[in-house]
Amino acid sequence: MMRKLFMMLLCIMLAATQLTAQNRTVTGKVTDADGKSVPGASVQVKGTKLGTSANDEGVYSISVPATAKTLVVSAVGLLEQEVRIVFGSPLNVTLAPGDKSLDEVVVVGYQSVKKKDLNGAVAVVNSKELAQKPISNFTQLLQGKSTGLQVVGASGQPGTTGFIRIRGTGSINASSEPLIMIDGIAVTSTAFGLINPNDIENVTVLKDASAAAIYGSRAGNGVIVVTTKSGKAGQAQIRYSFQRGFVSLQELPNVRLMDSKEKLSWEYAAGLVNPIIDSMINNRKASGALPATATLFNLSDDQRNGLWDLATSRGAGDWKNFYLQNASTESHEISISGATDKMKYFFSVNKFDEVGLVYKSTRDRVGARFNMEYKANDWLTTGINASTAYVKEYQNRELFNSQAPWTAYFLTNPYEPVYLPNGNYNLTFQGFSALEGQDLNTFFNNNLSTFATAFAEGKFFKHLTVKSQLALNYNTLLTESYLQPGSNLAAILGYNSKTDGGNQDFQYVFTNTANWTQSFKNKHNVSFLAGQEFTKRNFYSYALEGRGFPTPTVNTIDNASLAQRATTSRSQWSIISYFGSASYDFNRKYGVKFSGRRDGSSRFGVNNRFANFWAASAWWNAKNEDFFANVSFLSDLKVRGSIGTAGNVPNQFYGSLGTYALNTAYNNLPAAVPAQIANPDLTWEKNKNWDIGVDFGFLSNRITGTFDYYNRVTNDLLYPQPLSLATGFGSVLSNIGTLRNKGFELSLSGDIVRTRDLKWNVSVSYTNNQNKVESLISDNVPSGNTRLKIGQPLNTFFLVRWAGINPANGKNQYLKADNTVTETYSLSDAVLLEGKTPLAKFYGSVNSSLTYKSFDLSLQFYYTGGNYTYNNQYQNNLADGGNTSVGFRPQYADAFNYWKKAGDIAQFPSLTDPTQKQNLATDKYLEKGDYVTLRDVVISYNLAESIVRKARLSGVRFYVQGTNLWLKTKFHGLPEVGVSNRENGQPVQPGLNNLYAYPSSKAVTVGLDIRF
Amino acid sequence: MKKLLYILALSVAFASCKKEELNLTPFNQIETASAFTTQTDVTLAINGMYTGLRTNNYVNGTWNIVADALADNLIISSLGRQTLTAFGDWRYTADNTFGLFGQGYGIVRRANAILENIDAFPAGAFKDNAKGEALALRAMIYFDMARVYSKTFENAGATDSTLSYITTTDAKILPTKEAVKGFYGKIIADLAAALPLVATSNGVGRFNKAAVAGLLSRAYLYTGDFANCITAANTALGGSPVLPNIADFPKIWTDDTNNGVLLKVLNTTLDNINAQGVNYFQIVGGLVKSEYVVEYNLSKLFLNNDVRTSSYIQVSPFNGVNQNHVVKYRSRSGAGVAGVVDAKVLRTAEVLLNRAEAYQRSGNNVAALADLNLLKANRYTGFTNLVGLTGAPLLAEILAERRLELAFEGDRFWDLKRRNLPVARDAQWGDRADGTGVKYIFTSLPAGDYRFQLPYPSTEVNFNTGFKQNPGY
Repeated sequence: MMRKLFMMLLCIMLAATQLTAQNRTVTGKVTDADGKSVPGASVQVKGTKLGTSANDEGVYSISVPATAKTLVVSAVGLLEQEVRIVFGSPLNVTLAPGDKSLDEVVVVGYQSVKKKDLNGAVAVVNSKELAQKPISNFTQLLQGKSTGLQVVGASGQPGTTGFIRIRGTGSINASSEPLIMIDGIAVTSTAFGLINPNDIENVTVLKDASAAAIYGSRAGNGVIVVTTKSGKAGQAQIRYSFQRGFVSLQELPNVRLMDSKEKLSWEYAAGLVNPIIDSMINNRKASGALPATATLFNLSDDQRNGLWDLATSRGAGDWKNFYLQNASTESHEISISGATDKMKYFFSVNKFDEVGLVYKSTRDRVGARFNMEYKANDWLTTGINASTAYVKEYQNRELFNSQAPWTAYFLTNPYEPVYLPNGNYNLTFQGFSALEGQDLNTFFNNNLSTFATAFAEGKFFKHLTVKSQLALNYNTLLTESYLQPGSNLAAILGYNSKTDGGNQDFQYVFTNTANWTQSFKNKHNVSFLAGQEFTKRNFYSYALEGRGFPTPTVNTIDNASLAQRATTSRSQWSIISYFGSASYDFNRKYGVKFSGRRDGSSRFGVNNRFANFWAASAWWNAKNEDFFANVSFLSDLKVRGSIGTAGNVPNQFYGSLGTYALNTAYNNLPAAVPAQIANPDLTWEKNKNWDIGVDFGFLSNRITGTFDYYNRVTNDLLYPQPLSLATGFGSVLSNIGTLRNKGFELSLSGDIVRTRDLKWNVSVSYTNNQNKVESLISDNVPSGNTRLKIGQPLNTFFLVRWAGINPANGKNQYLKADNTVTETYSLSDAVLLEGKTPLAKFYGSVNSSLTYKSFDLSLQFYYTGGNYTYNNQYQNNLADGGNTSVGFRPQYADAFNYWKKAGDIAQFPSLTDPTQKQNLATDKYLEKGDYVTLRDVVISYNLAESIVRKARLSGVRFYVQGTNLWLKTKFHGLPEVGVSNRENGQPVQPGLNNLYAYPSSKAVTVGLDIRF
Repeated sequence: MKKLLYILALSVAFASCKKEELNLTPFNQIETASAFTTQTDVTLAINGMYTGLRTNNYVNGTWNIVADALADNLIISSLGRQTLTAFGDWRYTADNTFGLFGQGYGIVRRANAILENIDAFPAGAFKDNAKGEALALRAMIYFDMARVYSKTFENAGATDSTLSYITTTDAKILPTKEAVKGFYGKIIADLAAALPLVATSNGVGRFNKAAVAGLLSRAYLYTGDFANCITAANTALGGSPVLPNIADFPKIWTDDTNNGVLLKVLNTTLDNINAQGVNYFQIVGGLVKSEYVVEYNLSKLFLNNDVRTSSYIQVSPFNGVNQNHVVKYRSRSGAGVAGVVDAKVLRTAEVLLNRAEAYQRSGNNVAALADLNLLKANRYTGFTNLVGLTGAPLLAEILAERRLELAFEGDRFWDLKRRNLPVARDAQWGDRADGTGVKYIFTSLPAGDYRFQLPYPSTEVNFNTGFKQNPGY
């Protein structure tokens, strides 16, 4: 197959002949719109390599063949212009101020393409939108940056990777995350979590099949291509950036915790006692201050208030002051970049330190990068992009019990003291002090990630580029978890221990491409690409545990007196790929493109190892038609459409094999147990897309916009085919079912003011996505509180419906399946709540960018909605009317809205009715996740050039940045829900429920940028 | 020329990429087809079968508490973490039921795989023993699954159904339910077949003849076949049963003796499965913090001269409140890790109680009373034999002793169900040692109520539509 392609390419090469003819000279001057000369402007004969640069006065002189017709003149920051060659008189050119970003080169589908030549549903996010933000993981920075791209933060934990969905959720059991390529290598979330966002030149988001199909079997959920920076022509630029962020808790909307006296009075109303008040009364009985018959409920109001005041004075009050800490971010970065004839380079070192909101939480990253490209001779270029980064973080426990400080904040009463009289931490009613736990049971993550992408590129016969690239990615993780001797948890478990665990992850991709690009008669532009790729990933992990440490200060496992079982594991996968594309356009008016890929993956059954993917697209640039040339208000109009396929692989590396596992033991003797049922037919999840879009511009592109409609169908879903549980297995991984996402995307941008000193641009975006399960092996499949129901969106909630509190007797009422009201709760009355799912139905952003002289003000609002989240956290803090267990009583002040007397319309049942003291799941706690937030606001000031020059600098910028400063929602608590909490693992669906995940922060950041 | 070399090098690179690179297999697993090649493989599979018993809803997991929480032996502690409330409150549904259905069949598959492959091995003691262990283990798990999900033999009618007695590893089966009576017949047939095959000295962590006979006595007691129950119990107990005596009894619970234990599922320090203990309590701030505590009336039945009282129960404060904590699964002695103990699956005391009941119900009051006296003499300090007890009072005494002996061991609810009795909880007592505190919310499960049969998981009945859910759910 490949050999044939090569033969074909060779034939094309031989067919191309070079023309030789007599030359003549053209001269002229290049100026900008203000009449200033443009030094260094590039002047090229169209369709040839012949070219020159203008001198310092903007004057050029070029010798051109007599047959040449057109010159292409371009300069950084100005609009490229083509001029017809007229011999004999000076050819002066005035370049209009341009959207220079259109000339930027981005990498799409193994080719470098200028932005203006992108003809698919592709979004480009520039470095400016990602750099210098107080967020260290670039995935979270992508939120709101493109239509069709949804990012939900997993939690507020520093460095956390967001959930990314491109055009909806396309899988049930396989990953729904897009393929992320960084400088040519597809990487895991650990690796891209360590990339320094400031090193990123641009991020392209490939949304439709025409762009994604060439990435084949892993591109079904879209592709994000990250390209890191390279040097720009000109003198070396040295830059120092500094940033400091002041971080605080983002207040939980619509909820308030009870203060000490409120909590005590609520317990009193519920007829509940607690150990603190109990012992006060007992002490007073012993001393005779209270009669022997005294109970909390027969004291006088004064006596009771006296006890409550005393407890309040000893209590912690607001536990936030203890479980949270002063948080901050601080970064320093130095970069040096530049380019000469022979070489382009970008060098950076950076350090980013975060102190998290939660007690003890920290994350420190240090990294360096060197990207270099060297022109070895007139046809051969080599280069390498290399980077390494190291992260050390203190990770808090994050789970639903009081070992986690953020959870403990909601479980600990304001009247409980932080410390005991002897100075030790009070274990509280929880029996555990999260503060002591964070102090003595430490958990550190150490991540090291290195990337290297090396390439050699040869140019042949004017039109052919052959490139060979080897991309490597090596990551290590070391976790150290220490359960110190003497800690409370060690006492509970009866042992102290240290566990070191970690993994090594090595991946390489070897890519070879040949790209033929040619124009015929300046009208017919063709491009052919053929390539081959091999990817292999090796993964190795280990865990070592020792117990019986003598003292807290020694914590390497050689100090343990009792070794525990040590484990290692290893796994691999590989993919072999062949791909190609062909595109043709006529005079930049009409174009078509075809692409295809053949992938073979080790993850599939022997019967279905290889699969083919393809795409076809076409576009029409209507503005380039003569009949639109005179329609002056219309400055841009392009219509495009595409159709194609892409795939998705299962998470399991060996999902097709029937196996016995040997990694278990009985009586410390080896054992073998059935692990998996074979499915030799296992294969790809197939994603079929079509997309139709229009790009438009009015009034010299003062108003621009894009509209896309898409329909994305995933067939052969990777889904566990149920087996009868009587087989001993629940399921076997198979390809069954169909899922559909369809929707539209609209973005509009307008320059409201466009003068020399004042520029104001406002842009809005809106994405609408509808998800639907089209078919499945069995209908109505339970999945936690949700169901997979044919004809409904994924994970539609399935709950008992709450029907209010009976005003007559204060009991909870529920709707039975037949809509009659009952006071008896039964899970068999749960029904499908149509349309209510954790999937957002719409999202988008509103941006404003205002520039006045040297000042910039930019705002980004982000909004999302249509999704529902089961508000577990709200439920737990209300305990649905009361929990008799001392550690789980309500904390939110809303709990006072309980039924007190006949006729009350209340939210919660009577506190004195024991049958109502149950914490039951109903749709009372299913809440809409709609919100709008001011995600980002930046005010910056560029120091006047005269001052900068005096200081022998080339630029100084100050800025103040606000993150998450404002939020509007009806949700009780923070509405952006990813995971319920980290230790609960990956949710069935992001945003399904919340349960004390690391809280989100808001921040004010000041920064300084100096260019030397 | 250089350029040609470059292209040549690339072509070589292309050609070097082979399909064989895609044949990758796991590093810690073998393919099923090669799992039963040698005798060693069979031994591995037998060990694997026993590890299956450690699944989280069986003997090393919640089995030791659920039947007590479902019944009247335990009351939830208001100071605990509110675990397993769906069982204590009888609020289980098909979506939220006891997990032994899938887990049990998972263990059955391991036994079936051995039975399907063992015939290829040469005749002899190794083969017999392997076959016997697999048959016995399969029967034991089926017996317990049937107790959870179905009526028991004696109160089931001809149309009452239970699980399917699967004996194959075929993954494509869609079984339907079987009649309860026939199902018990298959359990007994498997155990009876295992009895002559299995060895006498596999160690307490695997089936031996005595353990198989003990299980048979349990199965015959449930089917009301008292003569066979007595015969099987005789085989299990031998001439002079070790129960053990008062001095040794506490050592059972710290794994310091295997006397009186017929079958254990081992749980080594490396296995470190602490669920048996954590089901009941954790040590917090040096104090016992219970999930469930002993019901007040039951606590009064544990007398001071009963060795079981201190082995099973501890009165101590948490948050300043005294409670009756269940400490039966506290830990091994010495540096034992909290909650990490072997699972005691079958004890001689139970077999003796099976026999005593069978004697009494088949009219042999003298032998029944002798067995009862034997047990009591090994439990109560200063015990003098009961004399002249017969009939209903004797049976009541045997059953009362059974409740005490097997308390917090996963028997009570199934035993009430076997005898077609209701769960009648005393609403007046709370969760504190003195009987005050938070009381039961749900107090009565009438005899024969549908909730005595736990629901089958919805994943099975939704997919395998021929498999009908129990009535009421």
